[in-house]
Amino acid sequence: MASATIERPRGRRRWLGGREGAQRRFVAVVLSPALAYMAVFLLLPIAWAILLAFFDFSSRRTGSPFLGLGLDNPYVGLEHFKRMFDFSSTAPLEVRQFHTAVKVTLLFAFLVLPLNLAITLPLAAMIESVRDRWKVLYRTVFFLPVLTSAVGVAIIWGFVLNPQRGLLNGMITRLTGRFTSIAWTTDADLVFVGIPVALIAIIVAYLWQDIGYNLVIFIAALQSIPDSVKDAARVDGASTWQTFRYITLPLLKPTILLVSVLTMISSFQVFDLFQVMTNGGPDDQTRALSLDIYESAFRYQRMGWAAAVSVVLFLLVLTISLVQSRFLKANWEY
Amino acid sequence: MATTIERPAAGERADAATRQPRLPGQGRHTLSRLALYALLSVFGVIAAVPFVWMILGSFKTGAELRQTPPTFWPQDPTLANYETILSDPDLPLALFYRNSLFVAVTVVIATLFTSSLLGYVFAKYEFRGRQPLFWFVLATMMIPAQVTMIPAYLILVQLGLLNNLWGLVLPSFVDAFGIFLMRQFMFSIPDDEIWSARVDGASEWRIYRSVVLPQLKPALATLGMLTFMFHWNAYLWPLIVLTEQDKRTLPIILTWYETQHTAQPNLVMAASVLMVIPVLIVFGLSQRWIVRGLTLTGTK
Repeated sequence: MASATIERPRGRRRWLGGREGAQRRFVAVVLSPALAYMAVFLLLPIAWAILLAFFDFSSRRTGSPFLGLGLDNPYVGLEHFKRMFDFSSTAPLEVRQFHTAVKVTLLFAFLVLPLNLAITLPLAAMIESVRDRWKVLYRTVFFLPVLTSAVGVAIIWGFVLNPQRGLLNGMITRLTGRFTSIAWTTDADLVFVGIPVALIAIIVAYLWQDIGYNLVIFIAALQSIPDSVKDAARVDGASTWQTFRYITLPLLKPTILLVSVLTMISSFQVFDLFQVMTNGGPDDQTRALSLDIYESAFRYQRMGWAAAVSVVLFLLVLTISLVQSRFLKANWEY
Repeated sequence: MATTIERPAAGERADAATRQPRLPGQGRHTLSRLALYALLSVFGVIAAVPFVWMILGSFKTGAELRQTPPTFWPQDPTLANYETILSDPDLPLALFYRNSLFVAVTVVIATLFTSSLLGYVFAKYEFRGRQPLFWFVLATMMIPAQVTMIPAYLILVQLGLLNNLWGLVLPSFVDAFGIFLMRQFMFSIPDDEIWSARVDGASEWRIYRSVVLPQLKPALATLGMLTFMFHWNAYLWPLIVLTEQDKRTLPIILTWYETQHTAQPNLVMAASVLMVIPVLIVFGLSQRWIVRGLTLTGTK
């Protein structure tokens, strides 16, 4: 580098004099369009979504004067949010569906997370301990579903779970010798320890697609732990399990937190699997919030209500993001 | 399990080659290693089975797929399904591939440009409000798509961009994740190189183009591949924006095709395979970069 003759930036900048103006101009030219863009496509929509939540906006109504606000689309204030707390049996259908959706989404997110960690963490530890050539092979096999679009995943699992010609029922038929035709994703009466089997099917498909992703992150974290630390523990007589439990696991803590929160946030927003695999059925047993918002807005044209529900989803995700930023500040700040 | 292990006296070379402490081959140890490989292989097979079954299914006849119980290996492999799809007048695959490619490639180009530029500014320039602005960019990653999609849809309606592929790509030109990723990579570029270019009289744009960009190649490859995959596979936003059949992208066409051909799973399986192939190719070309990019930031 030709850095030998150059001092620290601050002194140099004064020395360069006029160059500072050029840098300032460069920053301004780069930043202002980008920030304007983000304002239009991110800030404005959020503010708008919050505003829409206070209107009874439906795009079916003719002549909406200004993008859903005013005149033909009456201001209803907190009405949407109040209705969310109507738990009576006479509550309108969309309110009952909202309640179902919150339940389904929370159930999904809180089942997916521990299952995901319980699978990926040991799997990553195992893959990390095999030879490099095998490591790449295993990592690739588990990563293939990540590449597949969620739509593709949903269709694949649709084939596996098909009642008549699906792989799963076919295997059960072979093993038991008795013809089995279980309607995994459409039978509302199928419930396993209080959880609808249709929801479990989506969880399995989601995990199948998602584990490869977390696996890669965990393997990288494991690789960053120096071998010398583990060797020292072994020399001191620690077993493989003890080394993992008392050395590796504590060192992995930041990564586990990162993966937990990311998985949680993304599981709140899953749409493709729910729509393609079950479309909310049977009996709304798999009606997730993302699907509920989409249907309310674009199928039933209740955009004001859908916006209010999306604000609730936003608040849920925001709460988790705050937890995330608290735990992960160290990871982000360089 | 509870084997105590001595440090290997020999085998230092194997150590260096695999980054693993290669342990002396005692009997018990070899056995547990075998068990490990066996277990991993069983998991691997379980993970691969649905995928493999679909690929095999695309070579089966409709009659074979309607059999109960279903077969695993094709009894009578055929390419007829692919021939049927590729010559189906209702499914102009070339058109849908073109739509998907247009969307993915346009967004990739725009994202690479804006991300590298903004990542550079955030990493290498000092200006007032830099930190809060960067946190604002990061914070936008937390916004669920469902919140912005209704207003973004209304904006597109006003702009007359509904059913237009540009309406699909326009909201994706600036990507917070991309900016973050690029900024991280930027730390590997020494400040001194930038400063000596300045001393030599290069303009700021010239420095970006000739000093910074060439060193970002691995980062650009990572981000490019991830962005390509994300937009190639995108479903929700295209579902809202594109309502005319000939404007649609592959994932929507795939679900449409599935509902049209529920009685012919052999065709749907072949169609699914055709739509996964480009991503597999892209992945094959970029595997090590993608893994590196994912591990660097771990963003979904």
